[in-house]
Amino acid sequence: MKNYLKLVNFEVNRFFKLYLILIGLTMLSQLIGAGIISQTYMKNAKQLMAENQLSMNQYVEQYGTFSFDRFTDSEWFLLPIFFCIAMLMIYVFFIWYRDWFGKNTFIYRLFMLPTERIAIYFAKLTTIMLLVLGLIALQILLILMEKQIVNKIIPIDLQSNFSIYASSTLNMWRWLYPTSFTEFILVYALGLLFVAVIFTAILIERSYGLKGIFYAIFYGLLSLGVFFAPILLVNVYTNYFYPLEIFLMVLVTSMIVLGSAIWIANHLLKYKIRV
Amino acid sequence: MIEVKNVNKKYGRKQVLKDISFTAEKGEITCLIGINGVGKTTIMKAIMALTPINSGEILMDGEKITKKSFEKITFIPDTITMLPQMKINEAFAFMADFYKSWNPQRAEELLQFFKLDPNERIANLSKGNTAKVNMLLGLSLDVDYLLMDEPFSGIDIFSREQIAEVFTSHLIEERGVIITTHEISDIEHLIDKAVLMDDGAVLREFSVEEVRENEGKSVVDVMREVYRA
Repeated sequence: MKNYLKLVNFEVNRFFKLYLILIGLTMLSQLIGAGIISQTYMKNAKQLMAENQLSMNQYVEQYGTFSFDRFTDSEWFLLPIFFCIAMLMIYVFFIWYRDWFGKNTFIYRLFMLPTERIAIYFAKLTTIMLLVLGLIALQILLILMEKQIVNKIIPIDLQSNFSIYASSTLNMWRWLYPTSFTEFILVYALGLLFVAVIFTAILIERSYGLKGIFYAIFYGLLSLGVFFAPILLVNVYTNYFYPLEIFLMVLVTSMIVLGSAIWIANHLLKYKIRV
Repeated sequence: MIEVKNVNKKYGRKQVLKDISFTAEKGEITCLIGINGVGKTTIMKAIMALTPINSGEILMDGEKITKKSFEKITFIPDTITMLPQMKINEAFAFMADFYKSWNPQRAEELLQFFKLDPNERIANLSKGNTAKVNMLLGLSLDVDYLLMDEPFSGIDIFSREQIAEVFTSHLIEERGVIITTHEISDIEHLIDKAVLMDDGAVLREFSVEEVRENEGKSVVDVMREVYRA
């Protein structure tokens, strides 16, 4: 357990520089974007009001209010999010492969630590989850800050109401920002499951070489199949199951997928892995 | 004692280890000799559970290798096993963090012996110094057995001499060492036991001293006999 925590700390530190860059880029792009978009809007609005001699109320009647969605729909807001997601997706693979490739074969050291090798797997899994949750927390903070920026530039009378959860864009991102705690747990448990299956697939490839790529793909598809089995069942027997039953079935298949991912990883790390 | 018993291993269809058996005693230096690609490194990895074997058994003091074994046995591969962006003292901190058997006094002693700067980044070290740090990280663990893969390959003559000096010092005494080499000349005078290998098989295992006393032959003489036959 102690070694697991040390490994988590170690793994987080290894990504930290890049993480700071991701955070920096996101902040820069979103904060500047919030400023630029509100300012452009205000310039435009003032010009229209001046040209047509409109009061603020008349302007709102004619042209509508500024919605925060205008910012959250913009590249300023979305691109850094996509970029962070892409980088973390790449890192899910790189977190393992970086230890095998390169001049320094650090995987030797990791596998020669006097600790269960599955602790390395759990540490890397935890690291990915921590990095993801960190970015989510940052994004929530940033939205609050961006709202302040918009409020500074655009008078409140010109704005429509905004709440993080009511916003249509963020609804689209519901899986990123779930609306309840239960949903939050479900969404991120699903994410954890997904990463665990990818990790195990990577270890299969690392254990069996070229053949391992096929085994890994087969394993991935099988896991996907097991996971989606209840949903297929529900589609075949429509209106047969209660929602709770469906939920329980998904819960059971998820546990099977997660359990087998960990079991296989443990077995491979102990008996099959090669450096 | 490390016992390697009838170990077989295949990579695909190619049999890389063919019924390999030998032992390495504590307090002795055992040398695996053979040209590149005969399976010397593979055996070391197999001992450390870093690669699977198809059949056979490997025991350390009568027990199979488990996580606990890594406090008693260590492997120094021919590339450094630390992150290149780490400084030497950060590497020390990492080792101290994870190994109970890490001996900081000895690490310090070796650092002075090798004349290395603890604030130097591993990535910036010369080839010879990288090899020394790699060796240092393994030697500073209070383990009973040390496996070293080609510790002399590709480094300058003075670094070689320094590393060879380590073998005759208290740093090695009492421990069991398995070392591989494809060039025996550097260490012929240091080794107690030689295991001659070719094409994944052990051709001959002998005590250097016995052969010298009884047959009046050096390691190189025996190698000539075995490999030219």
